[in-house]
Amino acid sequence: MNDHISMRVNSARLSGIKGRTVRLPCKVLRLSDDTAIVEASDGGQVEIQRKNVDITATYVEVIGSVVDASTIKAMATLPLDSEGELDMQLVNDVIELTFESRFDKLFPRYKETEPSMPAR
Amino acid sequence: MSQLSSGICRRLNEAPQEEIDQLASGHTVQLLSIKKVAPTSSSTTATDRFRIIISDGVHFVQAMLATQLNDLVANGDINKNTVVVIDKLACNFVQDKRLIIILDLHVVSRDEEKIGAPTAPPSTQDAPAPAVVEAASSSVASPAISSSTGQTKQPQPQPRTGPSGRGGRSVYPIEGLSPYQNNWTIKARVTQKSEIRTWSNQRGEGKLFNVTLMDESGEIRGTGFNAVVDELYEKFEEGKVYYISKARVNLAKKKFSNLQNDYELSLEKNTEVEECLETTSVPMMKYNFVELSSLEKLEKDNTCDVIGVVKEVGPLGEITSKATNRTIPKRDLTIVDMSQYSVRLTLWGKQAEQFAADDLSVVAFKGVKVGDFGGRTLSMVSSSIMSISPDIEEAHLLRGWYDGIGTEKNFQSHTSGSSGASFGGFNRNEMRHLSDVKESQLGMSDKAEFFSTRATIMHIKSESISYPACPTQGCNKKVVDLGSGWKCEKCDKTFERPEHRYIMSMAVADWSGQAWLQGFNEAGLAVFGKTADEVHEIKERNEAEYNALMAQASGVTFNFSCRAKQDTYNDQTRVRYGISRITSLDYREEAKHLVDLLKSPWAQ
Repeated sequence: MNDHISMRVNSARLSGIKGRTVRLPCKVLRLSDDTAIVEASDGGQVEIQRKNVDITATYVEVIGSVVDASTIKAMATLPLDSEGELDMQLVNDVIELTFESRFDKLFPRYKETEPSMPAR
Repeated sequence: MSQLSSGICRRLNEAPQEEIDQLASGHTVQLLSIKKVAPTSSSTTATDRFRIIISDGVHFVQAMLATQLNDLVANGDINKNTVVVIDKLACNFVQDKRLIIILDLHVVSRDEEKIGAPTAPPSTQDAPAPAVVEAASSSVASPAISSSTGQTKQPQPQPRTGPSGRGGRSVYPIEGLSPYQNNWTIKARVTQKSEIRTWSNQRGEGKLFNVTLMDESGEIRGTGFNAVVDELYEKFEEGKVYYISKARVNLAKKKFSNLQNDYELSLEKNTEVEECLETTSVPMMKYNFVELSSLEKLEKDNTCDVIGVVKEVGPLGEITSKATNRTIPKRDLTIVDMSQYSVRLTLWGKQAEQFAADDLSVVAFKGVKVGDFGGRTLSMVSSSIMSISPDIEEAHLLRGWYDGIGTEKNFQSHTSGSSGASFGGFNRNEMRHLSDVKESQLGMSDKAEFFSTRATIMHIKSESISYPACPTQGCNKKVVDLGSGWKCEKCDKTFERPEHRYIMSMAVADWSGQAWLQGFNEAGLAVFGKTADEVHEIKERNEAEYNALMAQASGVTFNFSCRAKQDTYNDQTRVRYGISRITSLDYREEAKHLVDLLKSPWAQ
């Protein structure tokens, strides 16, 4: 079941997973009609291609597919605003923690194998 | 089946000191049994000791496993019938008794059958010696069994041509004392002698004193009452070694002692105490030092041994005991050690008054109690022993370290400022969950106990949310409605309108269970966000709105600092949990704390 797994990532973790669906919590820096430039929790900047997807808050979680290591094609966004600023350092810590091997059983991970090979 | 070094057990049992050292390594034996025995020193309760029976297929002997090998038992690397090769052993001689200690071994194979049919080794040169070994070993085995089965009478191997026949000079190890054997003599050092204490209660009055006796094998507490005090108090001198016999061995009253021995001695009129001048074989003081940095790991109320440089000596102060209304002198010291941590240690009574160590001396403390006031603190109790500039290796190491680099170091303090539970502050590190609170019976004793917890409000008893209170600042007494006004009995004043204050019962729950907490005005303000007057008004005005308000308050999670205390109401005694502080969750703070916890060694 390779589809429907979307891991929460930061900008660094976008490399190597082209085509996968990800969630990116981020802060919107610049907004234009079809795109947006956002800052991920590790400080890296990512371009969001967002035809028909609305961005309504300063802090959002962008759900989309990875185009390349610095671009995501958005499918949906979730507003993350709350009182005060969102603590991106905390968000980053959590993201990094989810990738640790000791939590493999807690978080569904992308399968390493090619989609064409039979799933294990 | 492995090949055991037959004959080694007999040799171990018979050989003199010099030969034992050479016998040390390379012999294969089978471990017939491993039994945990009560730890011999009154230090950290975590130090187990294991008594093992080693067999060479022909004979078996008793031995102790050195504590550095304890992990092997814990991991299951060695267990019953494991065959091992002894790499290093030592043999301690106490008068006629020998105590074999295995210092190092490696496993050859496990899960074997018992090899051969080993028996007790034949008697050695001295007839009573094996009798002592066996009587001692069986009497040691029986307390281990009998303390769990209670009153079972162990058929004692006939009280041999025991030590008593020889004027009591055959010495038992303290470990071997039990109520079932009366003909024993121990040779022990008085490591601590208490002051003469008098008591008087409904049943009468009297005086008593305690001594802590220590020998190679362990420690035991001795108590003498009334007439015995007069006879023996002067006889015992701290630091000296005595032969003691004919005292009664009783089950230890753990409440009064923090020694690990299951038994204690009652010194009676016919107890014989003789000073021993040959003190070489009795150890001076056994310490099991804990580094100050690891004090956090110890639970409150545990005892431990520490050694450190006294960096600061506080002034002599006094504190009034709430229980007895007497003033007790106290003095705080700050000690530091090589783990680069510092901690406060409190001296009481005479010790506080007489503390005369120079600043920066190395002091060793045995049996100090761990407290959690402001992080971690240490405190002397009646059985603690303080030793200034002791002549032991650790002290010399500390001296060298401090003189060399210690003076410049900045020490991390255990006074973390996150106030301990007794302040009612919210202590995240010591948070408990509700089933834990109930199970540990917090508040069941007469004393109030404190805890912190995080829980969600499930239900608020909405019938009685607040009471009319006296508006006078500081007076919260309930005021009585006289019709013409509201009167406060305490202030003797009448008011047109009372100021309502919250008094609520709420059911809170967390993942483990549910509990009823009593909240006061502060709690109500936090829960409703409105004053009690406002809520009272809503209640009178519009019941639907009031119910909506109650519903809105449910399902919200808070951090609570609570006080558990027993309360008697109409003949019914129950533990009540009062809220001393309530705070809303700052998710950012809490999440940060969780991340830290995940990154800590605990989570690895």
